Amino acid sequence: MIKILVSTLILLLISSSPGFSQKKVPVWRYEGPRIGIDLSRFLIPYMQKGNRNGWEIQADVPYKGNWFPTFEFGMQWFDDKRDGFRYKNNGTYARVGVDMNIVKFESLKDHDLVFIGGRYGYSIFNQETSGIGYSNYWGSITSSVPKRMLNAHWAELVFGMKGEIFSNFFLGWALRAKFPFSVTKDSNIKPYIIPGIGKTTTDVPFDFSIGLYYRFPIFRTKTLPKPIKMGGTKHPGQNDENNPNNQGTSGTGGLRSLRGGGQ
Amino acid sequence: MRFSLFIISLLIFGMVSCNDGNRCYDSVDTLMVTSFSVNGYKSIKTMVINGVDRNDVGDILVNDTDSALTKRYPLPLSLSADSTGFVLKANGKKDTLYIRHTMIISFISENCGFAPNYVISGFRYTKGIDSVKISDTKVNPNSILKKTNDQNISIYFNSAAH
Repeated sequence: MIKILVSTLILLLISSSPGFSQKKVPVWRYEGPRIGIDLSRFLIPYMQKGNRNGWEIQADVPYKGNWFPTFEFGMQWFDDKRDGFRYKNNGTYARVGVDMNIVKFESLKDHDLVFIGGRYGYSIFNQETSGIGYSNYWGSITSSVPKRMLNAHWAELVFGMKGEIFSNFFLGWALRAKFPFSVTKDSNIKPYIIPGIGKTTTDVPFDFSIGLYYRFPIFRTKTLPKPIKMGGTKHPGQNDENNPNNQGTSGTGGLRSLRGGGQ
Repeated sequence: MRFSLFIISLLIFGMVSCNDGNRCYDSVDTLMVTSFSVNGYKSIKTMVINGVDRNDVGDILVNDTDSALTKRYPLPLSLSADSTGFVLKANGKKDTLYIRHTMIISFISENCGFAPNYVISGFRYTKGIDSVKISDTKVNPNSILKKTNDQNISIYFNSAAH
């Protein structure tokens, strides 16, 4: 009986010692290239007229924590059968640019982003029109416009979010304003859809994308990325944002504060 | 954060994905706006226009019995030939006007489709017509939107013949 009591006491002493139960597990921040697909490309056929199909892959790499050089590549097939004509437009596009995270990371494990970014886009595509019909007092004609290769250059402004839904898996969306600045002219038909831009019925086409991404956690660090200063003043007593042990338990919950702004 | 992300995503996605409609708001009728008058300020009491070799009942383009100093009508041009002929009966006198033109069919919009665009290059007419003045050689779907005192061509009849 005494042996049992002594053994229990020793076990309790050992288990309550700092070096046993409270052994500090190192906290690492994992970063790495992120690659994903734009899910919205698969929804578009159900939301727009015409048979519009395509795919897009997106990739980014973290640079100094808050900058994300980005590359996007995709293809699109469009077949629009109307009463008076049939229009086909197929092509490939790519965009390069950079996103900048505008919210501070709360902890080493926090990778959720709200970002603004810019892109340069290039598309090479072909278009052709068949079955063009027109009638008037004098009769009717049927015509066609043969296949022709065209290209387009544009700039984009991007605003969006990416959130880590599971370890290394991110879901995000982006709203994109597109500024076409060079499109090959075709005397017969101005392309009304351009792969990578979308419908060109307005001067500044808008687009929306939903991405699902996987991050390859190949880099690790114990340093929380330095916030990008965007103006504003730092209040006295504001927490040190670079402290890796700052786990962001401010109790405010919900959305994080914007960088550099007064709170 | 993640819940907010999801909700905002859905809202914006719904907003952006609104259907762009399927209505055509542009003109697709390519008509040559033509004015008619008789030299010497003589009024045109009746005007009947139809195409050359188009003599059926339904082939009359204009049948106007209101008297006026100047008449103004939009007229269609041929889609397949490089000239279009009209038989003009002003105050009962018959004249023929041929208009030479080139045509290309051009895209208007995805909802409106295509429409012909012409460029007028010349005329040929009978003796009852004194002269033809060209104001705008380009005939396109916007021609019909010309103001009241503007037209593609003006036709002046001989006062002696009418």
